[in-house]
Amino acid sequence: MNADCIIKTNDLCKFYKGGAIKALNGVSAEINKGEVVVVIGPSGSGKSTFLRSLNLLELPTSGSIMFDGNEITDPKVNINIHRQKMGMVFQHFNLFPHMTILKNMTVAPMKLLKMSKEDAEAKAMQLLERVGLADRANTYPSQLSGGQKQRVAIVRALCMNPEVMLFDEPTSALDPEMVGEVLAVMKQLAEEGMTMVVVTHEMGFAKEVADRVIFMDEGVIVESGTPEQIFDNPQNDRTKLFLSKVL
Amino acid sequence: MEWFNNWINKLHETFIVGDRYMTLIEGFEKTLIITFGALIIGVIIGTIVAMIKVFAHNSPKSRILKVLDVIMNIYLTVIRGTPVVVQLLISFFIIFISAKDGTWVAMLTFGINSGAYVAETIRSGIMAIDPGQMEAGRSLGFSNIQTMWLIILPQAFKNILPAIGNEMIALLKETSVAGYVAVVDLTKAGNQIKNTTYDQINPILLVALVYLVMVMLFTWLIGLLERRLRKSER
Ligand SMILES: Nc1ncnc2c1ncn2[C@@H]1O[C@H](COP(=O)(O)OP(=O)(O)O)[C@@H](O)[C@H]1O
Ligand SMILES: [Mg+2]
Repeated sequence: MNADCIIKTNDLCKFYKGGAIKALNGVSAEINKGEVVVVIGPSGSGKSTFLRSLNLLELPTSGSIMFDGNEITDPKVNINIHRQKMGMVFQHFNLFPHMTILKNMTVAPMKLLKMSKEDAEAKAMQLLERVGLADRANTYPSQLSGGQKQRVAIVRALCMNPEVMLFDEPTSALDPEMVGEVLAVMKQLAEEGMTMVVVTHEMGFAKEVADRVIFMDEGVIVESGTPEQIFDNPQNDRTKLFLSKVL
Repeated sequence: MEWFNNWINKLHETFIVGDRYMTLIEGFEKTLIITFGALIIGVIIGTIVAMIKVFAHNSPKSRILKVLDVIMNIYLTVIRGTPVVVQLLISFFIIFISAKDGTWVAMLTFGINSGAYVAETIRSGIMAIDPGQMEAGRSLGFSNIQTMWLIILPQAFKNILPAIGNEMIALLKETSVAGYVAVVDLTKAGNQIKNTTYDQINPILLVALVYLVMVMLFTWLIGLLERRLRKSER
């Protein structure tokens, strides 16, 4: 494992229904610090399962995951500690509807990092400022648009100072006119050097922002390379077929 | 008008003479104490049972949770499978034989009984919350229990508050059997006045009226609460 590697998966498998469904069928990948990796592939190819395995929201059937030098798939490991360092953004935002935006953002730093209320709120306000939502701090999630919710979800995860950010189709549930504002925040984050793993159908984002693109199909990584390699010169027929449909 | 004056005199004789209305007021207090105490105990027990059942459902591999789940199922089966009056008799005459005041025994018994019914309400309230909420909590680094406590339960309770209100109404009426274990609750107080005054009608009708008014009041309050909650959702 090279020094820059922050996540390394080794032969990850995730089976359902006693092996009848192989959502992941031997996935080995490395993600380096500061790298933006975009995962593409047809629906049902295992992209979400792969991403959700990285912070053990899905427990792999076999295989191992190293994160920051620790084997988090070891059952003795307290995964809660490691999850603090892996922010996750979901397709459906999953903001806490009974808490204000500010509370959504401060509850975890206060309870888990033992940050003081003042510090946690100052940090949250600073982040809200950056995504242009400081004036919504004291409203509830139900009062926000989809794009605003997703921007809050991103900064909520950032409040924990994560080392990696995982995104599972962050713009798929949005009205088309709101996709741009969320991608802009993600792009800014990438430019600041955040390590990101992004599952998305936004090929424009992948071309522009990704350092590396992984194409998955039927639970395996079919092909991986720079955006130029994958989009302009794909080697595998399945990659070509997929790209011919989405581009 | 003649009968009306007679009736007023009768009421005076039954309730005012010897300050017998005080028995009713004390009985009414007991009924309220037992009802609210039992409700609180029931909600606490119900929450614990519901959490155990949900955790056991979510992590089928955990041995400890499986054992706890079986124990909870035994509790639910036994409590729901026997009449509350019988449970009251068992509590008072078999388990807490040394208890002089039946009030605490009654409160505890009704609470344990109520918990078995509230548990199912709370469990379905928890299951109705989007699984994404648990995932979001866990992804931030909260443990299972922290996420349940900070994120899931507050939302679940908001949804089931009206059902808890209905449980309170049910308890208010159910506690009328507390007289079986030497508790002078509202019903028993009415019965005592009936026996001392030989007025077979008014004490019992008055007791019925008090229950009715209380139930109507609670129902109105729950309706108010429901409308409030619905408004805050927008
Ligand atoms: N909980 C589950 N039970 C059974 N099958 C599942 C479950 N979750 C995912 N799958 C299956 O695993 C495969 C990969 O799913 P997923 O990772 O969500 O794909 P993607 O995100 O690429 O669309 C699909 O065939 C899906 O039906
Ligand atoms: Mg998916």
